[in-house]
Amino acid sequence: MIDTSTVFDDVVELICGLVGDDLDILGVEVRRDTAFHEDLGLESIDLVTLGGLLAERFGPRVNLAAHLAEYDLDDVIGLTVGEIAEYVADRLREED
Amino acid sequence: MPELKVNGLRTNYQVLSGAGEPTESVVFIHGMGTDSLASFYLTLAPPVAAAGIDVISYDLRGHGKSERPVSGYALADFVADLHELIVALVGDRRVHLVGNSFGGTIAYAFAARFPERVRSVVSIESEPPTEIWATKMRFTLAATLEMLSVEENYDWIEANFGAHHRRLARLAAKRFTDTTMADEVPTGALMSIEDVSAIEVPVLSILGRYGYQSDDLDALTSLMPRGELYVFDDQGHSVLVEQHRAVRGLLVDWVRRHGTPVTDG
Repeated sequence: MIDTSTVFDDVVELICGLVGDDLDILGVEVRRDTAFHEDLGLESIDLVTLGGLLAERFGPRVNLAAHLAEYDLDDVIGLTVGEIAEYVADRLREED
Repeated sequence: MPELKVNGLRTNYQVLSGAGEPTESVVFIHGMGTDSLASFYLTLAPPVAAAGIDVISYDLRGHGKSERPVSGYALADFVADLHELIVALVGDRRVHLVGNSFGGTIAYAFAARFPERVRSVVSIESEPPTEIWATKMRFTLAATLEMLSVEENYDWIEANFGAHHRRLARLAAKRFTDTTMADEVPTGALMSIEDVSAIEVPVLSILGRYGYQSDDLDALTSLMPRGELYVFDDQGHSVLVEQHRAVRGLLVDWVRRHGTPVTDG
């Protein structure tokens, strides 16, 4: 059984590491509806890095790049932390 | 992300190995300015790898997470980087080069300089580095720099495209003012029409009918002995982003058609 709140916490931890010290400057609390690009000031290249970190943490079954390859640009730009966490939880659930 | 030193510069790259036993390798080359390997990695790379093709994406010098020197941005520098990267990651095998916008121009220049390393070229909204290209680039870059030097234009960008694009515009401005990229890129080395005609590897040029070559879609592809053209109607320059599903199909089919010849024994 997948604990989705634990998955969310893990994803938030990885994203906070990615944003680094800028998180304090931005004054943003990372929540489910926090947007990866707009709120956190991250770029598409950071999604590539995050994809690697997620695969490292959860295993190769979590393949963010392959998932996002089915998105349109506007969907990628509007991507939220909650959507990323949901994708990870879904993949882990499928493997259970 | 993995990185290696290419011509002395820290270069960020990603490799996705094709399922099964891949026999073909594709190298994705992104465009100039705010572009990075992400535009390929988040669109074409995973499905192309899933089709059994090895995929390499990398950040050009001065872009993404690769090193950003102040100078050294002539087209020839980008071609030299690509050569060193291919030697390091692929070895002796020939590769398919897939370039978007300026990345396609690098692919054409590379195919002319190192034909023995190239299986085919797929260019997306790109053209070979002729004098016509250089003139167009100088004009476009000068207009972009002028636009980005006016503060009110950032408000207009945000109002029309959102805060994300405002930030991208700021990034582009910083990259162009911190480096000599805009001045150096159009210096070449440029190719003559005869050089373009001498590109003998198969070339697929994918264009938007209203993109950067809308004035004469077939002008350059028709010069190359094995050139083919595919045009998206009702489409501007952003072919890769707006048509990535269709481009994926074209690319996988193209690589299968132009892969390593299978020989008996």
